[in-house]
Amino acid sequence: MKFRIVLLICIGVMSAFLFGCSNNASQNVNNDVSENENQSENQNDSGETQTISILAHSNYDVGLSSVIEAFEDANPDIEVNLELAPFNELMESIEIRLSAQSTDIDLLFVDAPLVANYTLKGYLEPLDSYLSIDPNDVWVESAVNTVTYNNELMAAPLNNSSMVLFYNKELFDKKGIPYPEQDDRMTWEELVEIALELNDREDGVHGFTFDRLDRAYQLLPLADSLGASMLSEDGLTSKGYTNSPVAVEAFTFYYNLFNEWNISPRISEEESIDYFTSGRVAMFLGLSHSLPRLIDSNIDFGITLHPYFEGGEIATPTGSWSIGISKYSEQKEASAKFLNFLTVGDGADIMFKDGGILPVHLELIDHIKNDPFYDEFPHIATRIAAQESEETASPRPLTPGYLEWDSNMNRALQDIKNGTDPQDALDAIVDVIDRLLERYEGY
Amino acid sequence: MVKFLNKGKYLKKMLLGLGDEMKSIKNISTPYLFLLPALIGLLLFKIYPIFSAFLQSLFTRQFLTVEQVFVGFANYSSLFTDPVFWNSLKVTAYFNLIINPLQVILAFGLAVLLNYQIRAIPIFRGINFIPVCISIPTAAILWDIMLSPEQGVVNSILISLNLSPQPFLASDSQALLSLIAIASWRGIGYWALFFLAGLQEVPKSLYEAASIDGANLWQRFKNITFPMMKRPLTFVVVSVTVANMLLFSPMYILTSGGPKQSTNVLMLESYNNAFLYSNMGRANAIVVIILLITLVVIAIQFKLLRPKH
Repeated sequence: MKFRIVLLICIGVMSAFLFGCSNNASQNVNNDVSENENQSENQNDSGETQTISILAHSNYDVGLSSVIEAFEDANPDIEVNLELAPFNELMESIEIRLSAQSTDIDLLFVDAPLVANYTLKGYLEPLDSYLSIDPNDVWVESAVNTVTYNNELMAAPLNNSSMVLFYNKELFDKKGIPYPEQDDRMTWEELVEIALELNDREDGVHGFTFDRLDRAYQLLPLADSLGASMLSEDGLTSKGYTNSPVAVEAFTFYYNLFNEWNISPRISEEESIDYFTSGRVAMFLGLSHSLPRLIDSNIDFGITLHPYFEGGEIATPTGSWSIGISKYSEQKEASAKFLNFLTVGDGADIMFKDGGILPVHLELIDHIKNDPFYDEFPHIATRIAAQESEETASPRPLTPGYLEWDSNMNRALQDIKNGTDPQDALDAIVDVIDRLLERYEGY
Repeated sequence: MVKFLNKGKYLKKMLLGLGDEMKSIKNISTPYLFLLPALIGLLLFKIYPIFSAFLQSLFTRQFLTVEQVFVGFANYSSLFTDPVFWNSLKVTAYFNLIINPLQVILAFGLAVLLNYQIRAIPIFRGINFIPVCISIPTAAILWDIMLSPEQGVVNSILISLNLSPQPFLASDSQALLSLIAIASWRGIGYWALFFLAGLQEVPKSLYEAASIDGANLWQRFKNITFPMMKRPLTFVVVSVTVANMLLFSPMYILTSGGPKQSTNVLMLESYNNAFLYSNMGRANAIVVIILLITLVVIAIQFKLLRPKH
């Protein structure tokens, strides 16, 4: 019996060694990436088609498809494989595949505050040698700053974002409430008053909803408007910041929308726009690039500016996606070619026109500011968003552990929406976040 | 010459002896050779991943250089001082202490009912098996819609009965119980199948003999059904424990571990560490702890449920 046990242990140890060796072999394969890269580039010279893959957010399907079509027409030797995923799945897919040093992604969507995080984890290839432009000549300065880490450009900004308040004219008329002025910024307090009047539970109508419910991206301006900082200056401490009295006050407003005033429906972010287009919500604080969808829905709507707290600062959401080249890509040259086309070349125009995004490209922003097309409703929403992104934008916290802060903050916001006391919800996450941020100390 | 002949005899004997020895070695090795493919599979797909998880739990990945650095048991010691880990352990224990007995008892009861030979019993058996055919993610999304506090059908029913609507998955006091209900809705029909198979193996003659001796329904159940069901019971109890210790997809899909971490089971915590925060060392340390806890629980279950016949 003992002999058999010993035999089994021996086999186990031997197989562990064997696999250990195979791991080394796979590491060697990874080390030979540059050789493979050279080979694939040589293949390109010999006339073969290269295929590069881009992992992207599914909201950008339309614009990216048009860009890829144009790129492939101009570069018949490069084929672009578009892989789409919704926000949460995209985040996970990036983590799983790049932490495993997968070579099957060449380009990836990077949420701007995650540039530092991905750089530290070794996911991104610095772009300075691949781009033939001075970033500050092409893109808005704030966008360039968010994608720069240790003076290296780690990703190329794709778009910006801002939000405007859309309202359903029919529901306003029904209650005899005058429309908000297009250039008049309401306070949150005024908005709540109007929303309470618009609320009609018998007809299943709620007064107001955010677009990106439970997401720090959209809700941070509440705290910013009251002057709260969510993290310490070094970006590594949340206790005393994320749960500060001012932050609690800001997120109590969020709590009251669902639990005190009952003017917002407890729905998910995926449902929010449908609630507005189907007339179940009277006011919708949404992304400016939702405009094509609202126009398609045939709803009679108006536009006004993002609200702020009375006596507080004006703060609006900002920041969006950038594109990075994976450090483990075996086709960096071809990927850089596509990256240039998408963010600097014709692709930027196509993304703006077909994808309806708010650009970060200086020329396109000038075009929005000066073209009379954007004087008219509803396209004025794009101009308002462009102005807000320059004048009132409130960036998300700067920290290498943004992923950890954001995921916990979003969960706390969801709990607040569902009725958890804001102080309790925020107190519960700060220790968790601070423990997670510990490993970024010194970076 | 004689000496030579003796030597020859000795050599022959020796060769014969060697042959016998070879034969006996061959006899011994034959079953092992037959077992080898299965053993290799076992080592490759069962033992190696465990070994690999343990090994990885002793390392951490450094930023920028992306090197794996040996840290010994630091991942374990950091877990034991982390309130999030202790909360996850508590949630996992609470979840398993409720769901395991609940599923076993309800599955057994269902199997007893489905074992009655009444008309159309195959239809009833089929209906109870339907939830098993629905994948966990689909079932989770289905229940998410039905339990929605805003527009869910369950709250509509409660309101129509003049009862107050419930938050279900949105409340830290109800979320785990709601998940237990969802997992049980899907699991009971499946585990009942094993009990049903076991019940159908109990010889009818035993019941007949007991009836002749005047045993009532409870006595027949206590003295015949239950003892004869110990083997399927052991299988189901162990399988239910393992399945529920590793269950995390409903929590992942429906609550993300919330509200207020009330559904953050160890498997979800491990998953988040591995695939959200890219902390593979910590994730593997949690997996190893789950494995050890499961092994201890299963060993106790085997000891308590060992059939005496």
